[in-house]
Amino acid sequence: MTLKKFVSAVGIIGLSALLVACGGGDSATNTNEQNVAAGQSDGVQKIIVEDAFIPAENPAASPEIAVKRGDTVVVGLQEPGGVFTPYFNTSGYDGNVQSVMFEPLVDINEKGETVAGLAEKWDISQDGLVYTFTLREGLKFDDGTPLTAADIEFTLTLLHDPAYAGNTDITEASIVGGLDYKNGDAASVSGIKVIDERTIEIATDKVNARTLRLLGGSVLKKDYYGNGYVKGNLDYLTPLHQKPIGAGPYRFVAYLPGQEIRYEANEYYYGGAPKAKGFIYKTTVGDAQQFFQTGELDYSALAANQDNFEFLQALGFADINIYTSSAYSYMAFNHEKEVFKDPKVRQAFSLGLDRQTIISTFYQGFAQVANVPVSPTSWAYTADVGSTAYDPEKAKALLEEAGWVLGTDGIREKDGKKLTVYYFTTAGGLGDTLIPIAKENYKEIGIDLQVEQMDFNALLARVDKGDHDLASFSTPMLPDPYNGVESFHTKSTNSTFKGFGNEEIDALIDATVATNDIAERTAAFHELYKALDENPPVIYMGYTKVLSGANARIEGFTPNGYRGIASSLRNLRLAE
Amino acid sequence: MKGYVVKRLFYMIPTLFGASILIFFLYSLVPGNFIDADQNLTAERKAELYELHGYNEPVVIRYFIWLKNLLKGDLGYSLQFQLPVGEVIGNYIWSSFIVALASLILTWFIAILVGIVSAIRQYSIWDTFITIIVFAAMATPSFFLGLVIIKIFAVDLGWLPAGGMISTGSNFTGWEYVKDVAEHMILPVLVLTMLGIGGLTRYFRTNMLEVIKQDFMRTARAKGLKERVVIFKHGLRNALLPAITLFSFELPALFGGAIITEQIFNWPGIGAIYMQAFSVRDYPLLMGFTMFIAVLTVLSNLLADILYGIADPRVRVKK
Amino acid sequence: MESSAVTLEKNKKLPRSSSLWRQIARRFLQNKMSLIGLAFLIFIILFSFIGPFFSPYVNLGVDPTNINQSPSAQHWLGTDKLGRDVLTRLMLAGRISLLVGLGAMVMSVVIGGVLGIISGFYRGIVDQIIMRIADVLMTLPGLPLLFIMAAILSEWKVPTEYRIYIVMLMLSIVGWPGLARLVRSQILSLSERQFMQATEALGLRDTRKLFKHLLPNIIPLLIVSGTLSVGGAILSESTLSFFGLGVVPPDASWGNMITSANSLLDFQKRPWLWVPPGLAIFLTVISINLLGDGLRDAIDPNMRRR
Repeated sequence: MTLKKFVSAVGIIGLSALLVACGGGDSATNTNEQNVAAGQSDGVQKIIVEDAFIPAENPAASPEIAVKRGDTVVVGLQEPGGVFTPYFNTSGYDGNVQSVMFEPLVDINEKGETVAGLAEKWDISQDGLVYTFTLREGLKFDDGTPLTAADIEFTLTLLHDPAYAGNTDITEASIVGGLDYKNGDAASVSGIKVIDERTIEIATDKVNARTLRLLGGSVLKKDYYGNGYVKGNLDYLTPLHQKPIGAGPYRFVAYLPGQEIRYEANEYYYGGAPKAKGFIYKTTVGDAQQFFQTGELDYSALAANQDNFEFLQALGFADINIYTSSAYSYMAFNHEKEVFKDPKVRQAFSLGLDRQTIISTFYQGFAQVANVPVSPTSWAYTADVGSTAYDPEKAKALLEEAGWVLGTDGIREKDGKKLTVYYFTTAGGLGDTLIPIAKENYKEIGIDLQVEQMDFNALLARVDKGDHDLASFSTPMLPDPYNGVESFHTKSTNSTFKGFGNEEIDALIDATVATNDIAERTAAFHELYKALDENPPVIYMGYTKVLSGANARIEGFTPNGYRGIASSLRNLRLAE
Repeated sequence: MKGYVVKRLFYMIPTLFGASILIFFLYSLVPGNFIDADQNLTAERKAELYELHGYNEPVVIRYFIWLKNLLKGDLGYSLQFQLPVGEVIGNYIWSSFIVALASLILTWFIAILVGIVSAIRQYSIWDTFITIIVFAAMATPSFFLGLVIIKIFAVDLGWLPAGGMISTGSNFTGWEYVKDVAEHMILPVLVLTMLGIGGLTRYFRTNMLEVIKQDFMRTARAKGLKERVVIFKHGLRNALLPAITLFSFELPALFGGAIITEQIFNWPGIGAIYMQAFSVRDYPLLMGFTMFIAVLTVLSNLLADILYGIADPRVRVKK
Repeated sequence: MESSAVTLEKNKKLPRSSSLWRQIARRFLQNKMSLIGLAFLIFIILFSFIGPFFSPYVNLGVDPTNINQSPSAQHWLGTDKLGRDVLTRLMLAGRISLLVGLGAMVMSVVIGGVLGIISGFYRGIVDQIIMRIADVLMTLPGLPLLFIMAAILSEWKVPTEYRIYIVMLMLSIVGWPGLARLVRSQILSLSERQFMQATEALGLRDTRKLFKHLLPNIIPLLIVSGTLSVGGAILSESTLSFFGLGVVPPDASWGNMITSANSLLDFQKRPWLWVPPGLAIFLTVISINLLGDGLRDAIDPNMRRR
């Protein structure tokens, strides 16, 4: 009996692993009609599905339950934490909830470029230090009160509060006087100047290409979130976390824990109220195929692969969207281990792994092999650096050069030490495909690969301790290409890359944010990528795609790899 | 009897104290924590958060802080929900409870019935059929069973909703609301019942087989009592006795939630939340909830022993 | 009163236990159902342990050009998501799943049974101590325990292929209270029956009371509990891989073969991925059960008659 109890508890976990696997590694695509029949041959395997929009063939097939819902749109979301004040949430899903009712000053488009949000324009001074934002005319919060520069001043000040316990580190923007407020007894942040109702000027100490987006986040209403604010105590905010007031396309109506979050169109939104009058985030776990199929959801992102693509196509009523995520996945080396000090060894690990087969087999064309730490959707991407080649011969030669020679048992040795490496990964998902192939590949070039599976949080903790030799990761969405390389910096505190890098690479990384000019930044990134190719920080794995279906009764879903569906919400409307 | 109960209640103190030590230190040994899990945090921010949450204190000190708060009835503050743990549990536990209760009643009813019939007609076609069904259910992982049920009843036949507790966006009240929830409950209750019924049926069958061979059964028959009376009045009663222990195992489970089933059916229950809390290492919520279940477990074990004494006075008298 | 005759006969031969065992064996061999169960189990064991030697695919690894093929002359049960032969994997998986399932059964029955009997039979302080420990263990949360075990085994660099057995052992060590409580309550109620009162009156020794009178009556419960735990243990193995405690790919187990067919699409489109391992677990569980029923009937003559 008790064993049974354990068993069922354990069963639970297994499922959630499985669900994580399904929900997590989103990606997929397919354009041609004949479709990649799951890698039938070597030739077919290398087909990579293009980003595409495929309209529904039979919108009339939409289930009745969805049609009856009228102009209310339902989208699935994992259970949020219930903190709906921007900058204060700890759950990423709360961020999704917020993005429906809060719009940032500076938005980002599908190419990762900054575009106007609540701010109609901004100027950056010649020396790159002073930012002047101009708000759109007549901006209002969703309670009908005006949104002014004072609200921005309040938001930025609040983030500097010594008691602020959220995840945003505003000090990275180096606002003049910011630290005096945070750590000293300054009564305000001296670098922030409200010029007039629609204009605010912010002075910084350091040129940083990321400052614009740090400053240009969501805006908190001063006479609501700031009502009763005393420096050093933010407890008064807690009751407001579930009663948000924002300035986005929809207004918050109700939160039913574990079930749904309801919104209504915001008539004060600067772009006008969305035509779809209601919006609901419904709590779902992992893949939500069945809910989309039965019409309980109008939009759902699925694990990107051929199976799910065919599933959506067969439904008939699904508008299919395939887009590339801004993230990339990789296997990290433990740079503190002696064996990986030599770049040749790291190159050999990369060349000796048949990444193409792994990615093709698992994603069935809905991902491509990565060679640089930025997704092809970004302006910083280049296809000219690195190669996807699988070259065991060259890998062997490189290992020989590095002094690792074949032992009698087929495993390489150096100074009496065997080339046995421990690889940490999570159970399920890409790992199930990667592990068998990687074991075979590495055995062939004389590397003994030992695999350990664990849950993601344990993986982080173990890697933090430096127990691993190799570990699998995927980056989060990368709004700026700098986010993809910042952890390679020796000053980075990301423990995954402890021991990597040198002054030369640091300088190249710094150069990518030392200017606000996109062309200059692009050149700087390409130079950095070349250097990283010689001295690989990781084994790049893949750029995955996201496969999403939208019920054709609703128009306007144009998800992208940077903002998901957030930037399409304002356009939602019933199809004619 | 009264003295016995008081004594047992007294024993609960060291038991729960031991449980609290085990629970706290086990969780503190689990690799990973809430703050480290956020890869976007800078090291400075992490250090600040460690300080703010008091993670820099030694484990023992933290245990006593936790214990002190527990004794005051304060289960702690959920990191993920930014709410008191008690409130989070309260938000989700009742929806778990209604499903668990419905399935408990159904399971016991069916299991008793099936167990009796199988036992009376041992090795009959009916008995074989039931046995095969029970073992088929046992060879099926629960997520698989859930998927199949959804596929059949929600997707293909379209009879019942695929998940959730209320119709999305609905504002029903009163009877309408009850009806809506009841409709959404059917599939999860069905799955939980199928999962739970196997073991119980087997136990009942075995117990009945045991009991109907006892002398008093023969005596009852010899007295000329109707077979039905013999089976139900004399047989069932005695077969149910050991089941009290089984029943006590189920009581904490009423509040424990069903992780997989809740996840598959999108049921807003505590089981799914517990699992989610694990994946982000929301330790205050995890420890608070585990402690709550521990108290229930100890209480229901006590209850089982007391009930046993009432149901079977001989056991008590001997003491 | 045939039963009393049997009892008498049994009692007469008691001193020579070998003939008692011969009797049990004879009764067992007369039971057709239990023989079928035994035959099935032997078949599954041979299938898993000897079968792979006849497969041409044992040493072949991943074949990305040949994935998700339906059953054919080359691959009798088709191929999986990585192009591996399902039949071969089914046989290899059986080795692990059978060891895990049967091992877990034996251990949980032995530990839970022994402690329950001691507790119910001796009562008093022994009972109090065992039951209070059981109370604490029952409040023990399973999940963190698994996480910690995983971390420790990994730290000690225990080879991944052995971890599953260590884990099963440890789970039985902490998982006994349920069965122990059941057994104990059964013993308590048995002790009050007339025949036990009689042993008391006759002044029989404890060991005699235990082994000759109580144990045979507990065996049905132990058998049910044991057969129930086999299926659960086989299935739970796959979920243990979430903690890194299960079987690590590319090794297979029946549980993780089913779990890898984890979507409605696989369910509909590729039954050859989940039907064979599902059937294997089902047949194993049912044959062990038939075997158990047969054993019970053979050991406890009361049970056979109605």
